[in-house]
Formats: sequence, structure tokens, C-alpha cells
Amino acid sequence: MSVRLIKYTEGDSVVHRLDPRAKLTFLFSILIALILTASLPLIIPLLAISLTFYLSARLPWDKTKSTWKFTVVIILVLSALNYLTISVLYGGEGVNLLQKLTSQEIILKSITPVCKLLTLVIATATFVFTTPPNLYAPALGQVRLPYKIAYIIQLALRYVPEYIAEMSKTLEAQMARGYRPRGGKNPIARILSVVPLLVPVTISATISIYDIADAMELRGFGEEKCHTWYRSLVMKRGDRLLMIVSTLLIVAYTIQYAILLLT
Amino acid sequence: MGSRSFSVTGIVAMGVGTALYAAFNVFFNMIQLPGTQLVALRPSVSIPMFFGYIFGPIVGFVAGFLGNIISDAISWGGFWWNWDVGNGILGLIPGLAIYFLSGEKLFERKGLLMASILSIVASILGMGFAAYTDYIFGYGISTIEEATYALFLPAAITDAINGAILTPILVAAYSSAVKGRARRS
Repeated sequence: MSVRLIKYTEGDSVVHRLDPRAKLTFLFSILIALILTASLPLIIPLLAISLTFYLSARLPWDKTKSTWKFTVVIILVLSALNYLTISVLYGGEGVNLLQKLTSQEIILKSITPVCKLLTLVIATATFVFTTPPNLYAPALGQVRLPYKIAYIIQLALRYVPEYIAEMSKTLEAQMARGYRPRGGKNPIARILSVVPLLVPVTISATISIYDIADAMELRGFGEEKCHTWYRSLVMKRGDRLLMIVSTLLIVAYTIQYAILLLT
Repeated sequence: MGSRSFSVTGIVAMGVGTALYAAFNVFFNMIQLPGTQLVALRPSVSIPMFFGYIFGPIVGFVAGFLGNIISDAISWGGFWWNWDVGNGILGLIPGLAIYFLSGEKLFERKGLLMASILSIVASILGMGFAAYTDYIFGYGISTIEEATYALFLPAAITDAINGAILTPILVAAYSSAVKGRARRS
């Protein structure tokens, strides 16, 4: 069972070469802008921006296929659900169902949230696909976040594949002892059937925390206030440009929101 | 509390908790065990609850929050910050047990019952936060009824059942496993 940790895809596009810190700022600005807006005409430019971001990464289709499949299913289900609940519940009195289903306001109202979702998904997925996971911790460490926080992520990324391997090992070992997960119709029995799998891995990992902490303490972790990173990141022209664009986005959408509040 | 959570043990606990939660999520998504689908949808929710209960609320929050981010990034490559915070709350609430019970009592019968109750509270609050922020910020859904029936109720009920059963089992197993060890903080 091979698991590719984090869906990073090698490449040499503009987006791949950007500084992870600049990309993080960009994601943050998209997030803020989406929170501050609720109308479709203002979401369309954001959607266009994140589509440009995605397209300039030139990701191969066969790598991104599974993400798109998942996204499309979620979006289709949600938009159908939206469309029906809005038209049935908020269609207004005295009009027949057909009129409700085709009214422009309702279609607009059910499309807006889906566009919002799509914008967020495209932007974040592009970030995940174009940033090597070994740069996450240095990037966070070098935006002046305390290095301990960056280290949590470093530790987590280091142990995920190990625990996945441990789980399949445990499953095979239990199956060799005659373990068969089943439980019929009883939901509690079904939940209890994962106990032989869940408990050994969790408890051995939890006990090992103390050993890992001791090993790190012996090497002096946590003694110094500062911490240097092996990979030092350098901002280039493109990164600064993206930072400026992100700041402008935040400013523009904040002003828009303020105007909306005042009027 | 703050200083204890950011000690070296606390940092490692956050890292390991995050990794475990992410690994379990990915594992249960990948390998569909026969008979454990649907109802036991996410037995892994007991991991942040357990870490919160043992190592304190901050560790629990980080394990749920980061673990969900990483498992999303592995399995389909995207993230929803409000669901991540909701998963963090799953770990945060059981951590509050430290303020009600002291030391040894955490692992006795009363403590196990407390772990179970707090897991249910955590599921309701955490999934409630995630589902209703989806509605408030308009991520994909646009009515409050959808937030309740399509997101909140299914997620909160399965998480509450899983957490209420599995968290005390994990806590009891931990307390007997750690008994023979010299160091315990």
C-alpha cells in the first residue's frame, strides 16, 4: 500500500517557483475577500483570479483528476440541494412550483455559494499541488511565527506515513489472529469492531511521545529562543508582486464591505 | 496551562496527535472495512478527544485542527478552515476535564464517564460550529435548514456515538499501559 503524502506535483511553472510565504499570503487574502463578500458580481473576479492561479501552475490532468472528481461531486450535490430547498422553502406565496423553480432570483441565490466554494477549493488545491511539503515548516518558521509551531507541522508530516504503515501492519497482524471486522446491524457493535485496530496503534504512539520528547530535549530543543532553518527562503520580484496583489485584494474588499455597511 | 502545553512533551504530543488523526482519517478512507461503513464513519474522531483529555485542551485542539488539514491535503488537496476549527473543538472540549477532576480521578470510573459526556458535548459544539459557519459564510449551502439536516445532524450524531464509546476505551487502555512506566507527566 503506497501512500503519496500530500498531493505535491513536480513542475517548473510560475506558481511552482513562487515563495511559499507569498502563496500563503495570497490564500489568506482570498479567504478574507470571500468572507467579506456575498454578491455574485464580486465573487466572479475572485473566481477568475484563482482560476488564473490554477491555470498558470500547468498541473497535469491525470494528477489533479481525483481532486476535480471529488469537487465536482460535492458541488453538484450541494447546488441541487440548494436549488431545491430554496425554491421550496423561500419561493414565496401564491406562485406555482414551476414559476418558483425558474425564477431568476432563486437561481442566482443557489449559484452564489457554489461559486464561493469553487473559488476556495481551486486556490487551496493549487497551493497544495505546487508547494513541496518539506517547505511548509520553513515557510511558517520564516514568517516570524514561533518556531515551535512550525515544528509541530514538521513532526506531524514526518509521522503520518509511519502511522499509516503501522496501521496496515496491525490490521494484518490482527487478521492473522482471526480478526474479522463485522457487526451486523448493531451500530455499537460496528464501532466496537474497530477497537482492536485503534487501541494498539494509538496507545503505542502515545507512549512513544515521552521517548521522542526526551530525545529532543537531550539535543537541546526548546532551550534557545530563536531557531534557524536549513532552507532559507528568498523573496523574488514575482513574490513581491503577488504580495502586493494580495494586499490590494484585501484592501479593496474591505472598502467594499465598509461601504456596504454604511449605506 | 499555557507553559505546560508548549513544553517539549506538549509539542511532541501535538505533532504525534496530528499525525495519528491524519493517518487514521486517510486509512479509514482508503480501506473500506466490510461492515464498518456509514455508521462507524469516522472512528478516528476519538483521537483528538483522547489527546485533549490526556494532554490538555490546547494539544487536543491542535491535533484536531492540523490533523484535519493534513488529511484533507492528502486525500483530495484542499481545505475548509471552518471544518478544521470544528475538528479542533472536538479535541478542545474533552481537555476541559482537567478543570473538573484532578490527577488520579481522571482515570477512574467517574473520569471515564466524564470523557464520554465531554465527547458528546464536543461533537455537538464542534460540528455545530462547522455546519453553521458553512451557512453564515455561504460555503456551498445557502439555507439554515440545509446546515441542520444535511451537515450538522449526520456529522454530530456519528461523531458523538463514536467519541462517547471509543474515548473512554482509549483512556482506560492508556492508564493501564502507562502504569508501569517511571516517567509520567
